[in-house]
Amino acid sequence: MIVIILNEWKILVRNRSIVYVSLIFILSIISLAWMSNVQSENQSKAQAAAEKHIRSQWDNLEPMNPHRAAHYGVYVFKPISILNSLDDGVSSITGNVLKLEGHVQNEIVHSEASQSITISKFGKLKPSIILQYVVPLFLIFLSFGSITNDKETGRMKLIALQGVSPEKLVLSKSISIWLYGLMLIMFSVLLQSLLGSLALDAGLRLGLTFISYGLYYLIVVFLSTFISVNFRNNTSAISLLLATWIVWTIFLPKIWGNTVEKVHPLPSRQNFIAQMKEDRSKGIDGHNPRDERRSKLEKEYLVKYKVDSLSQLPINFDGIVMQADEEYGNQVWDKHFGNNYLIYQKQKKLYQLSGLLNPFSSLQNLSMGFCGSDMIHHLDFLKKAENYRRYLIKTLNDKHAHGGSRTGEWRWTVDNTFFRSVKTFDYQTMLIKNHIGNYLFDILALIAWAIFAGSLMRYKIKRDILL
Amino acid sequence: MSKYFNILKFEYFHLVNAPYKIISILLFAFSIIYGCQIGYVLFKKHDNEIKSIKSKNSDFENKMLVQYDELEQGLIEKPRRDPTIPYWAIWNTPSYALKNPSAMIVFSTGQAEQYGYYKKVTNWSTIFDNDLAEEIANPERLALGTLDFGFVVLFLTPILLVILLFNVGGLEKDNGFDKLIYLNDISKKAWLATRFSYYFLIVFTLICFLLIPYAILSGALTNELTSFFRLLALIFLYVFLWTSVFYLINYLGKGSVDQAIKMISVWVVFSIIMPGLFHQIASIKFSTNYMVDYLDVARDQRYEIFDMSTDTLQKELLESFPMLKNSTYAQDTTIDKGIVNRSISGLVNVLNKKAAVKIEEESELKNDYVRSTLILNPVMYFQNKINEISRTDYYAYRRYRENIQNTIDKKIEFILRDTWNREEVDKERYIGYLQEFKN
Repeated sequence: MIVIILNEWKILVRNRSIVYVSLIFILSIISLAWMSNVQSENQSKAQAAAEKHIRSQWDNLEPMNPHRAAHYGVYVFKPISILNSLDDGVSSITGNVLKLEGHVQNEIVHSEASQSITISKFGKLKPSIILQYVVPLFLIFLSFGSITNDKETGRMKLIALQGVSPEKLVLSKSISIWLYGLMLIMFSVLLQSLLGSLALDAGLRLGLTFISYGLYYLIVVFLSTFISVNFRNNTSAISLLLATWIVWTIFLPKIWGNTVEKVHPLPSRQNFIAQMKEDRSKGIDGHNPRDERRSKLEKEYLVKYKVDSLSQLPINFDGIVMQADEEYGNQVWDKHFGNNYLIYQKQKKLYQLSGLLNPFSSLQNLSMGFCGSDMIHHLDFLKKAENYRRYLIKTLNDKHAHGGSRTGEWRWTVDNTFFRSVKTFDYQTMLIKNHIGNYLFDILALIAWAIFAGSLMRYKIKRDILL
Repeated sequence: MSKYFNILKFEYFHLVNAPYKIISILLFAFSIIYGCQIGYVLFKKHDNEIKSIKSKNSDFENKMLVQYDELEQGLIEKPRRDPTIPYWAIWNTPSYALKNPSAMIVFSTGQAEQYGYYKKVTNWSTIFDNDLAEEIANPERLALGTLDFGFVVLFLTPILLVILLFNVGGLEKDNGFDKLIYLNDISKKAWLATRFSYYFLIVFTLICFLLIPYAILSGALTNELTSFFRLLALIFLYVFLWTSVFYLINYLGKGSVDQAIKMISVWVVFSIIMPGLFHQIASIKFSTNYMVDYLDVARDQRYEIFDMSTDTLQKELLESFPMLKNSTYAQDTTIDKGIVNRSISGLVNVLNKKAAVKIEEESELKNDYVRSTLILNPVMYFQNKINEISRTDYYAYRRYRENIQNTIDKKIEFILRDTWNREEVDKERYIGYLQEFKN
């Protein structure tokens, strides 16, 4: 079998068209990796500059009341994903700027897609676009050409006469084409590791990306070969192959994506905000002294400090109210944002199911996921940013309550030594090994498809058509 | 003439005897209906959401009118946010900036999912506020895009043409009797062109036929007739261009398979590679805008204004709004902190507008670049044209932002004018405000 594979490779290398196309692929991958890297670096620089600018404003705040600083807030910027230069997934669709402030959990805004007219429908030309759309198409043509050529020239019969089993011959041909595809992925992955981070997590992600694409190419090559072998009419074979490619890559992802949204609908922004507002109004309004909850809290603190009035408290009760209000608010945010996140998860799971019909969906999910640019990574960023907001506001409220001022002293201020002591938001991308469970279904779907395609190749090859 | 008629007649037989072609046409028809339905659902959703906002506004207005009645009759005390003060009366005047959907949105959702289409406008609002973000949606679904009618026409029509045309003229080459055909009284060009015209007409007629019910349903045929015909003309041109490219491929092709591979490769180049390439280059040339200018105004510069003394603020206000010089308060020599504090949003708005101009200019530079590449990126040229017709393009939303800014300006103008003239707001004046900010 190895001899046949080597022989097939020799035939591939002798074919000038294939050599030229391969060179074009390699050059495209190099130039796209380089361009993607430049773009990622530019964006990282812009993000770092924005972060530095915003942090320096915070560090140099004039003496200010901590509650005022909570309204002043901080901005965090979504960093580019870990393997953004390979696959930027949802990055250009999601917002990039998030304001973290007291009383409210804001949403991330200012997406790249909203800053210009439409430029493309399939995203930026990253190596992932070549590897997902173009290389599989080429592998289809290669598999189809390889089989039909041998059928038409009678080479297949000649080799069979020499005692080689036709099934083995077809399998070897497929494997040689698959290896060609693997070579292109390997090249992309190596290039990526040379240009980007060599950290363990990045390495693991690249390894998983390589395996995912490898499985997908195996499915594409096996199915293409199988169809090319089993159809007497070449035109019908190529039609079916192209139709499958179109349905998998263009048609099904969109239709299934829209269906998923209909099955698990998200609330409209207006309702979402109105419901949160309603729930929030039931809680302590930090600015409203007549609130019932405030009275209850007030009594608790008067008893706790054994005093008769707020003015006798050794602490600033306003800070306590603010923090209690914040904690109530957090419950409201957790309920409503949590509900949205739950719907997103349900949508994601339902979308992943489409992998049973369409291995391309599984590949897309895995590619985005392993490159750190899918929805799961996006939500991880939002959750960590929200945790930081809670830390920030609690720090400010605690200072307000226990920093030395008394109740009602709204003009009491702290200087920037305190503001500088507040930690900066430092987002660390989640480690893929801890979240691999999110992608298990996609991996299993690809494996199932590979086994299915392999079984077709093993048991369903029609010898009479082949010879 | 009968020669051409015969070609068309045989083309009909060729088509009905190719089940995969018939299935492709049916799938394409299904996609058009599906795409239009997606657009129609979005149209209704926007429409209903806007109606719901208007209804809530109307309820709120009625409550406010009752409050004025009760205040005037002395039945209630003035609340903390006293509605007789112009600032609070205008604050309590519901004013939403709404982007009413065009009936043409049914045919292209365009960039509609990247932007919000309703916004509560106050004197503190800006055109980049959080509440102007797009509707809540799954980002992965947004990245995948919607199978709307625009997508079907721009991306699936060429694929349908590939399926219908790849063996037109190719089959004869495959079987080696193509030369026999040219021995008859017809040129290769005319023979192929006639056969291609047949499919061109089928595809274009099918699109038109399926569009009309949705055009009637959404009201596009009655309210947006010109836009509808512009869309049809654009589709005609687009289908014609692809048919011409495929004609050339088949004219020079070596057989069905060779033609199919070339056709699909051209489609990949123009639909995926070129747009993606220019998208990538645009991202390198114009890095994602982190809106720092706007953030500075929204936070730092805004706080600088808050920290100014009352007389400095008053001077700044008089400089920025010369109309105030003739107001009752401006003639007064005493300083009224309340009046000045209620006018601060005017100064913040001036800064916001400056930042917005800069941001819009940066976006425009990127758009200029993108436009300059459209000659090599024709599919996206048509995409943007269709978005423009359906008013779901970047500029439609920029006009919407301008509309929001005008409402903010108007709110501020009213606050300043009536506050500085020490007006007291009664029911009649409040009704005036309502009419001014009515959608």
